[in-house]
Amino acid sequence: MLKANDIGYWYDRQENSLFEHVNLEFKSGHSYAIVGQSGSGKTTFLSLLAGLDKPRAGQIELNGEPINQLGLTNYRKSHVAIVFQSYNLFTYMSPLNNLLTAMAVTSSSHKGDKKFAMDMLQTLGITDEQMTKNVQKLSGGQQQRVAIARTMVCDAKLVVADEPTGNLDEENTQYVIEQFQKIAHEQHKCVIIVTHEPDVAAACDYAYRLAKHEFTLEA
Amino acid sequence: MNFFKRAWLNLTAKKGRSILLILVTSAIMLFVLAGLLIRNAADTATNNAKQSVGATVTLSANREAAFKKMRSSTSTSKTSRPKLTTSPVKLSDAAKIAKLNNVASCTATVSTSANATGFDAISTSGSSDSNGGGMKGMGGSTTSSGDIAISGVTSTSATSAFENSSSKITKGRGITTADEGTNNVVIESELAKEDSLKVGDSIKLKATTGTKKTYTLKVVGIYKASSSTSTQQGPGATDPANSVYTSYTFANTVKGAKYKNTADSVTFNVSDPAKVSSVKTAGKALINTSKYSLTTDDSSYQTVKASMANVKSFADKIVWLVAIAGTIILALIVILMIRERRYEIGVLLSLGEARWKIVAQFFTEMVMVLIVSIAIAGAGGKFVGNQLGQQLVSQQTTTATTTSSTSTQQGPGGSGAPGSSGTGSVSAQKQAELDINVSVMDLVELGGFGLAIMFLSIMLASGGILRLQPKKVLID
Ligand SMILES: Nc1ncnc2c1ncn2[C@@H]1O[C@H](COP(=O)(O)OP(=O)(O)O)[C@@H](O)[C@H]1O
Ligand SMILES: [Mg+2]
Repeated sequence: MLKANDIGYWYDRQENSLFEHVNLEFKSGHSYAIVGQSGSGKTTFLSLLAGLDKPRAGQIELNGEPINQLGLTNYRKSHVAIVFQSYNLFTYMSPLNNLLTAMAVTSSSHKGDKKFAMDMLQTLGITDEQMTKNVQKLSGGQQQRVAIARTMVCDAKLVVADEPTGNLDEENTQYVIEQFQKIAHEQHKCVIIVTHEPDVAAACDYAYRLAKHEFTLEA
Repeated sequence: MNFFKRAWLNLTAKKGRSILLILVTSAIMLFVLAGLLIRNAADTATNNAKQSVGATVTLSANREAAFKKMRSSTSTSKTSRPKLTTSPVKLSDAAKIAKLNNVASCTATVSTSANATGFDAISTSGSSDSNGGGMKGMGGSTTSSGDIAISGVTSTSATSAFENSSSKITKGRGITTADEGTNNVVIESELAKEDSLKVGDSIKLKATTGTKKTYTLKVVGIYKASSSTSTQQGPGATDPANSVYTSYTFANTVKGAKYKNTADSVTFNVSDPAKVSSVKTAGKALINTSKYSLTTDDSSYQTVKASMANVKSFADKIVWLVAIAGTIILALIVILMIRERRYEIGVLLSLGEARWKIVAQFFTEMVMVLIVSIAIAGAGGKFVGNQLGQQLVSQQTTTATTTSSTSTQQGPGGSGAPGSSGTGSVSAQKQAELDINVSVMDLVELGGFGLAIMFLSIMLASGGILRLQPKKVLID
């Protein structure tokens, strides 16, 4: 569903490009890991897939249509959901309001459906009591669960995550890995996870390594 | 309209920050309101001054024309001494003018003098001895004035000296229209003390002109003239304590039979000072302008108007200065707030929120803060406005009265009568009080200013939102 067509990116000068001539395809119902050394450009690449920035060369296509033709804001609103390393929830809201807000902003088909949001939080192990108190009173693992629930209540078919387990302990990491696989295999979404943790990469259907400005598929 | 809900959730969750914002905004709103209140109060005071501060039109002999006539007669008949003949004002003419629109009331003034008989006039050292009693023995000029100055009036309360409180009735009562045709008199307290006169006593006055008859008058009241009145006396006048008030009819009797139903001057009080010149124009059509003239005096009104215009322009400056400073302060606060909340903005952007809706959320938050602040400012505005207003008015009135006292010294009657003191100063001080009250309209106006301030400061600060790259939420 998502295709990188010959894309390249550099910050200041083309000679220092992070990667060039990248051609990759990501399909619905599958999970992908992107691994590589720190500073290799994984996050930058993900920001292009998420429509947060434009590639310097080439283009990204969603089901055959270039995403800048869709409009990046519209693309983010309707087609992509992001999970961050530092959760990036609305700190002044409860978990429930975080979900309701995301549903209201994105083109979710469940806008205003409180029950739907509560069920989703429940599924991810957030209790009724935790749902309505300030989100910052939850542990890191719980906050990341809320962030994952947020991607699930939006209708986006593409879920991207940047080091989603970076701040989590073993147990929560395992839980989050499972959730991402469920999203890919049970909800038939396309999941792309940037990670440096072998466990996370191993759980994904495919793993690409970014090294020496190139992506290579790992066994 | 999800940004409304976000704004509300944000303000209620971050209470400390919201309270700080409310405090800063309240302070700004308080000063804007104080400025608005003073400005509006100055407007009201100017309007009130129109109704309460006296503006007058005075009908008197046309001295200018009389002087001209005197000069021309001198050139033709060189033998006779030049004589200035002025005609006293006919009360029938005055009655016609009194019927004009906007004329609220009128008061006639007749000045003459007579000699004290059987009691002593106050004599000031030196000059006053040459007049009055001293003159009689010398058999001097027939036009010599007596030692008691008589002000014949319609009513004492309508004279400028009593109106501006430079003279006050201390015992008994003043002269009123009911005293017409009587020999009632109001005397000065110094004279009363000197001659041990009380209300109810009788005094005798001998006319210096005409029949030279002696009249018996009944003291119905005693007044006290403030010392400032005495400085108004021209040279050759008797001591101010020798000024007495009678009905204008008595003064006419003393002057002689031909003065019946006349007056030296008649002053008309005009209800709306703005109409003074139209009354003058209308009045001129009713009189013989070669013999009589109409002069206007709306200096009190002009004084109040000028001082209020100063207060108003100062209040305007306060409003604008605070509004500009407030906009800058709030813009800086919002800029800092946007920096602090760039992750939140980044997440909203990553969810595909339109930038203008994020700006709208910040604006909504500030408007909610503004509403609370306006309520607080409304409660405190009356106090601050009063303090500032009093300060301003006392400054403005001081400067205004100094200018007025130099410009408005001529009064009707001309002679040493106590009625001729300046009119502007004291009454201006009386009127120039600001009545500061917070009305719903004031709060609406304040709300308008507040909204404009918030809008501008958000516009100034929103560059931070509009420029923020959504990618920053991933890579910092
Ligand atoms: N805004 C920027 N301007 C210039 N260089 C940047 C900027 N952001 C990141 N970089 C550089 O680009 C490289 C790749 O960064 P990043 O994509 O975050 O790598 P990774 O996520 O793999 O650690 C790093 O060397 C980083 O220093
Ligand atoms: Mg990274």
